[in-house]
Formats: sequence, C-alpha cells, structure tokens
Amino acid sequence: MADFIQLFINGLAIGSVYALAAIGFIIVYSATGVVNFAAGQFVMFGTFAGVAALMNFGMPWPVGYAVSLAAMAVFGALFFLLIYLPLRKSAVLTIIIGTVAIGITMQNAAQLTFGSWPFRLPSPLEGIMVDIGGAVIAAHALAVVVVTGVMIALLWLLFYRTSVGIGMRAVAQDVQAARLMGLNVNRLLALSWILAAVLAGVAGLMLGPMWFADVSMGDPIALKAFAATIIGGFGSLPGAIAGGLFVGLTEVLGASYISSAYKDLIAFGIMILFLLVRPQGVFGERIQDRG
Amino acid sequence: MNLTRKQFLMAMMGAAALPLASPAFAQQNAPIVIGATVPITGPLSLTGKQYHNSLTMAEEDINKAGGINGRNIKIVFEDTQASNSTAVNAFIKLAQDAKPSFFFLSSYSTQNLAAAPEVKKVGVPTMYAGGADVVAESGNEWMFRIRPADSVAAVGMVRCAIDILKTKKPGILYIQNDFGQGGANVAAKQLEAAGVPVVGMEAYGQNDKDFSAQLLALRSKGADTILMLVYPQDGALLLRQAKMLGLKMPLVTSAAALVPAALQLLAPGDLDNVMGVVDAHMDASVGERMKGYVERYKTKFGTDPDPYGLSYYDGAMLMADGMRKVGTDAKALRDWLANVKNWQGIGHDYSYDAKGNGVFDLAVVKAKPGTKTLELVQSIKVN
Repeated sequence: MADFIQLFINGLAIGSVYALAAIGFIIVYSATGVVNFAAGQFVMFGTFAGVAALMNFGMPWPVGYAVSLAAMAVFGALFFLLIYLPLRKSAVLTIIIGTVAIGITMQNAAQLTFGSWPFRLPSPLEGIMVDIGGAVIAAHALAVVVVTGVMIALLWLLFYRTSVGIGMRAVAQDVQAARLMGLNVNRLLALSWILAAVLAGVAGLMLGPMWFADVSMGDPIALKAFAATIIGGFGSLPGAIAGGLFVGLTEVLGASYISSAYKDLIAFGIMILFLLVRPQGVFGERIQDRG
Repeated sequence: MNLTRKQFLMAMMGAAALPLASPAFAQQNAPIVIGATVPITGPLSLTGKQYHNSLTMAEEDINKAGGINGRNIKIVFEDTQASNSTAVNAFIKLAQDAKPSFFFLSSYSTQNLAAAPEVKKVGVPTMYAGGADVVAESGNEWMFRIRPADSVAAVGMVRCAIDILKTKKPGILYIQNDFGQGGANVAAKQLEAAGVPVVGMEAYGQNDKDFSAQLLALRSKGADTILMLVYPQDGALLLRQAKMLGLKMPLVTSAAALVPAALQLLAPGDLDNVMGVVDAHMDASVGERMKGYVERYKTKFGTDPDPYGLSYYDGAMLMADGMRKVGTDAKALRDWLANVKNWQGIGHDYSYDAKGNGVFDLAVVKAKPGTKTLELVQSIKVN
C-alpha cells in the first residue's frame, strides 16, 4: 500500500505539471486557434528563468519566483507581438511550422545562454520528507499538487468571475462577435499568450527541482501535454486538467504495474485509441459542434 | 650566354629551392589530419566536451614532443550532437573533406554502430569509446575500442555486488538502448551463473525523468542491491530520486553516473550507500602520470577530467606511437594496432583482442562520507 501511495502522489505531481502545460496549450488554442508546438520550450524557459533568478542572481525564494514569473509574462507578451501578430493572417500550417521553428530557436538560445550542462534547481522544500501511510513522500511533490490545485482555482475565478476572463472566453468562442461587442480583442489575445507563458513558468519552476534543468527538457513535456489535451479533449480546460493527471498517473502506475519498458507506449497508445474512437476526447466538443 | 656571379648564385638558389615548392614536399610537411566526431553540443555534450578537451590536449602534447617523426598532427572535429544520423553525416563529411589518416568516434554505441559501415567503406583505423559489445561483434577490422566493453563493465558490477556487497537478491535498472540492455543481460546471466539470480529487471527511456515506478518496483520485489546501467544525467537523477524515495539498499552504478558532469548535479547525501564501477580511478594517488594529467587538465579547462576523456587521451597517444613506428599507411597502422599488447596508458593497459577490444580493467569507487570525493575500493581485472 505504501508503494502505491508513493507512486500515486508521484504520478499526481508529474501529471500536475503536464496539466499546467496542457492548460497553456488550450488557452492559446481556444483563443487563437494556434497549436503551439513550442509549449514544451515555454516550460523549459520557466525553469531557466528560475535558474537565472535563484541561482545566477542569488535572489531569495519569493523574489526569485516573482521575478521568474514576471519574466515569463514579458516573454508571453513579446511572443504575441513578435511571433503571433506577424503570422496571424498566415495559413494555419505556416503558424504551426512557425511555432516549431520558434521552439527550436528557444532551445538553442537557452543552450547558448546557459550551456548544455544541466542545473540542479533547488526547492524551498529541499530534503523535507513526509510520511503518509508508511510512504515517504518528498514535500516538494505534495507542493506541486497543491500549487496546481490553487492555480486551477485561480484560473476558474479569472475565467468565470472577472470581466477580463469572461472577455477571453468570448474571444475564444467567436472573435468577430467579441469585436462587435466592443471588446479589445488584441489585448485579450495578448493576455492569452501571457497567461500561457506564466502557467508554463509555474510548471517550469515546479519541475526544475524534480528533474534537472536542462535545455532539452521541453520536448518530453510538450509530447505529454499534447497527449493530455487529446485525451482530455482539445479546447477543454477541465479536459486538459484531467488529461494531464491521467497521463502522469498512467505513466507512473503503468510503469510499475504493467511494464516500465512500455510506459510511453501505454500513454501514447491510449492517446491513439482516443484519436480513433473518440477524437473529441473526454470533455471536448466535436469540431462541428464548435462551429 | 654569360652569367654574372650574382645571376649564377641566384640560379643555384632557385634550383635548390625547387623541390620545396613541389606538392610532395608540401605534403611531407603538412600536418597529419586526424578526424574526431564527438558530441560537442546537445545533451550528450555533457561527456562529449571531455573528449574534445582531452583530444585537444593530446594534440598539443604530441606536437610538443616532435609530432610524428617531425610532422605535426591536426585534429579536425565534427559535432555528432545527440543523433545517429548527424554522427554518420559528420563522419562522411570529414572523410570526404579532410581525408584524415585516423578517426576518433564518440562514446555512444548507437552512434558507433551507425557510423561503422562508413568506417569500413573508408578503410581508415578508427578508435571509439562506445561500450556495446555488438559494435565489436560486427567484426569491423578498422575499429578499436578504447574503453571497457559493456560486458566487461557488467562483470565488474556483478563482482562488486557479489564480492563486496554480498548481495543475495540483486535487481537491475537499465537505460533502454544497446548499452543498457546489453549490459543488463550480461549482468543477469553472470548473476544467475553465480547462484544469485536477479529478482527484477526494470528499464527506462533515454528521455525519462521520473524513475519512481522502476525503483519502487525493484524494492517491492525485495531487491537488496540495485545495479544501474545509466548515462550521466539520468544516472544522477536516479541516484537523487532513490534518496527521495527513501530507498535504503546499496546502489551499484555504471561509470557515467559518477563523471564530474553528473557529480555536479548531486549532493554528498545522494552518494550515501552508492558504489560506482568506473573505467579508471582519476586521482593523483594513482601515480605520477595520472597526477600530471589530472592537474594539467584542471588548469587548462577549469573542470575535473573524467575517465572517458582520459581514454581518448590515451587513445591519441597510442595512435601517435603507432604512427611513429609504422607511419600513416592505413593497413600498416591497423595491423600494428591489432597486435598491441600491454601498452601502458595513463588510465589502462591496452591489449587488443581479435575483435578490437583493448581494455579489460576497471575500478570500484565510492564517495568519502559526507563528500563527493571518490576513493578507490578495489581494482578489477576481467579476463
């Protein structure tokens, strides 16, 4: 039982990170129709923002985290201005290829800046272990689950209890109608990118102490976040959360109870199954319903 | 025609200088080009930079010592990154453009395997550091290994587990590629033969970042020791996660988890109860030559050297020795290398067998308590 608890909480912690990355994916996709293939590199940038603030500049924890997330917000705004806006009227394929190219550029930029050696990003809860039912759990893993829960609650408040969030949902539903209603669509689109970048920053800061911070960490996250959105439902926020947690738990529990050699096959096999049998995912709407 | 004395002397000097302008003379004095395809960027550059550095150091040392019978060597590098196809392209590019007399390949078996057919086509002696036995089993007569084969390392890990740690229920955790899978199978067979069959074998992918499932699965199967066949970064992450999961059993890791690139990611506490079976113990106490290498490397590059890099330095010195004795003719140099016995490098004694394996000695090390400084536990010679 202790092993199961340990595995379950680890799976939840990893799934939480996937969920945050997937939410960033969904926010951008819903608002702009762009599948951001640089989403994994956004998370990597979040981790390295933490490396720069906490390790290179030696900032104290709260300041370092705040500066990292502020840097990610600025990055999201710049991404909107310099990448999305110039490409927004191009064909979807062009934009998708653009995000792939930007992802590669981000990875190389991080390598030029930080080098190829990984970093050990510390956690404020470093070395603290909690005993739950005989299972030894790293306090950081528990914190990841809690922080993700808080972030999701804040997102819900933003989208359903603030005028900005309601406006963002309106833009996601129908850009033309939102514009006719007098909403500042460009500002709301920019906010979507900023929000996605900040969420990726939170995911990156939480992931850094669990994995090492290295410039190639973005690719596996992007793949898993993509699988999470397919399973949960493309375009659905609850779907991204459920999908992320499902992928994380499947990965860890599948590796332990089925086969560690085929753990990725299990997660991606389920994703392919969804694409074949229920392409709209668990919570997603069918494309024709959306129109 | 009457010549003045001045014109006569000029004509004589011109005649004397004529051979110097000929292509043959130019070639005689041009440096001997050596090709090196190693990972200089990307995730594998963690260790790849060591090969680059140690080969650069060897080039300087060989040239300072008079080169190859008066001719300098020049090592030309191409980056293999973390990709087999890039490794093959890098080799072909060097072979076509620089036409080296000798090659060094990376320490990644999958890259070695990918480049092996091209090595055979080019027909130039080549040293490589990948450990997978399958590279040597393919019978490419131009390829010579400068590190212990994985089967040798696996035997060393098994001896460490049985002789030093007295394991009764070993478990094995390995990276899922030619290196990990091959080494794990050899280790499992050796343990079985010694009467201590493995209680579980778990694998992970090269891009995996969470190993809790594999570690806990081995614990739940009752493993009293875990043998780990790993690469540097994932090896360090594994050691760290084992501590975070509260695993108490000893861990025996392959060399990569204890190279400086991996050690800088670990805290001293992560190394409690960890033994490493490494290529060579890189410590000044080993001898004067090792001391000189370690100190010079640190001064020159500002980081600690690792045993992988040392094998490239030794390999370059061995190559230079061969070139001095038999020249740069590919066939003659290949034949000379194939007959090398008990050649004393800094890290190893090199004796090549029929398959091009040259290293059969290892070192078992562990960290001094509360530090990341490694100390020798035992040397192992595998027959």
